[in-house]
Amino acid sequence: MKRWRWVALGAAVVFAVVLGLGAGSVGLAPGDVLAALTGAGDATVRTIVLDVRLPRVALAVIAGAALAMSGATLQGVLRNPLAEPYLLGVSGGAAVGAVVMTAAASVAPALVTAGAMVGAAIAVALVIAVARAAGGRFDPRILLMAGVVVGAFANAAIMIVLANAPASSVRGALWWMMGSLADASWYDVAWVAPLVVLGAGFLWARARDIDVLALGEDAAAGLGADVDRAARALFLAAALLAAATVAAAGLIGFVGLIVPSMARALGARRARQTLAASALTGAALLTVADLLARTLRSPAELPVGAITAVVGVPFFLVQLARIR
Amino acid sequence: MHSYRFVSFRTAFRTAFGAAFSAALLLCVTACRDAADDRARANGIVDDFGDTLALASPPQRIVSLNPATTELVFALGAGSRLVGRSRWDTYPDSARLVPDLGDGMRPNVEVVLASRADLVLLYASGENRSARDALRRSGVATLAQRFDRIAEFGPAVVQLGRVLGDTMRAHTVRDSVYASLERARVLVEGRPRPRVVWPLWLSPLLAAGRGSFLTDLLVIAGAENIFADIDAPSPQVTFEEIVRRDPDIVLAGPVQAAELRAEPRWRALRAVREGRIAIYDTTLVGRPGVRLGEAALHLASVLHPSAGTGK
Repeated sequence: MKRWRWVALGAAVVFAVVLGLGAGSVGLAPGDVLAALTGAGDATVRTIVLDVRLPRVALAVIAGAALAMSGATLQGVLRNPLAEPYLLGVSGGAAVGAVVMTAAASVAPALVTAGAMVGAAIAVALVIAVARAAGGRFDPRILLMAGVVVGAFANAAIMIVLANAPASSVRGALWWMMGSLADASWYDVAWVAPLVVLGAGFLWARARDIDVLALGEDAAAGLGADVDRAARALFLAAALLAAATVAAAGLIGFVGLIVPSMARALGARRARQTLAASALTGAALLTVADLLARTLRSPAELPVGAITAVVGVPFFLVQLARIR
Repeated sequence: MHSYRFVSFRTAFRTAFGAAFSAALLLCVTACRDAADDRARANGIVDDFGDTLALASPPQRIVSLNPATTELVFALGAGSRLVGRSRWDTYPDSARLVPDLGDGMRPNVEVVLASRADLVLLYASGENRSARDALRRSGVATLAQRFDRIAEFGPAVVQLGRVLGDTMRAHTVRDSVYASLERARVLVEGRPRPRVVWPLWLSPLLAAGRGSFLTDLLVIAGAENIFADIDAPSPQVTFEEIVRRDPDIVLAGPVQAAELRAEPRWRALRAVREGRIAIYDTTLVGRPGVRLGEAALHLASVLHPSAGTGK
């Protein structure tokens, strides 16, 4: 990948962040926003910029990067350009875990994330088992179908848990199932960031495994790789990234699908390059999507997951046509 | 050697002093906060989220994100201090002049902050907890209230009056509402009590249950709710169950009554076949607010046409 493209990606992230801080439901003058960032100016403006917009943009950057890296890993290991945490039911599994934890009257984020993590890991295992039973873990279409089935099962499980919950929490949960960064706070950033750094660091260290597995199972085994073990570890890391995002921002689909393809289109070839380029692109993309979510119908909010889906579905269809 | 010991001594001293100072500061901060909490508790201002509210002076810029509290703020004479409302708060008419800040559930915190409110009134529902957290973190006082039953209305009014700085007026409002409710009760006393179904929504089919002030209103207006045995305020019920419980009267708004008459399956209900759909004014009945008394009188006259209007 050429150097100027890296610079452009970095600039896109910076641009998205500046846009995310400068625009919102309330019109603020650029000078006032700048003053607020330096800790000066009007107290209300400072609160809006530093305690409402900044944590929200930070969470969008982190979640966007995490989803994109999760997608890049799944696509690489499964050799499938349609693999993505949302479409593979991984996010759905995470949601089941999170909802079960929340319904058990525990709102401690650590426990909700742990629940999401367990749910995501189970979903990955199920998807791969179903695909294998159907005769092809590396057949993109079978794998996708397995993902849809596991996702539908996850949805059903959530509906059953919610059926007996009070109406107000159902509405909240539905909102969350469509993905939203509206409740972002520094507290969320503080517990999501380390998990994402952990997952990303692991993927970075094992990037060579992704490259080897992308050659195909036989070739990888021929190169002396313990294929199953390496794949399992990578799936778990991808699940961790998806689960942390789901616990903080709900179900946001298609970021993990679009972004790695964009990274490859930009010329990223090796896993490390793809991971880094995906992280940057995902961060910029989700930040802009969230900006649209909070400004298109202001003062009302749109679920950010709906916006990423509106962009992602046509993209998915194009990709699907291409692999046939 | 000597100087080394000196430095380490000074460092140790500094550390100890720092620790002691921090501890003292922490103690003071906690103590001060406890004192504020105690004051608030002594004043009895603990809201329905269990948060304490300590205001140095009556709030001057109020945002009310709940139609029922917006009505109350006007009734308590503080309407001119409102700087924001939810899009659903359209009563009294002057409420429409207050800036619309969007939804009252999961409100847009940024917009609420920009109104520079010093007090935000919220509906105490789980969905509003994160907004409450964000506002309180930003130093904006919040009062979350929830009054679903008539018995909860009086305490809520008095609490709001205390927060707004006019308890006398709050007592007057409460007493006048309870007096109208009593008038409605007396009006229909001794009359046969029809069994009523009150469908709130047709698809999915939701009916008033025990947890709602609507059931309280029905009882005061001389009727019984056939779903008074279900705890939820607006439980989802099956059509079969309504047919089985065979109500004497179906209570419906004008639009809903037309829908009921148009839909064949409702003909299965004896009350509908015999034309006993009581039509009530949906703009008057629907919120547990200052017009509860009026609503009860209205329902009494709709359910017992021969009893007069009580006015």
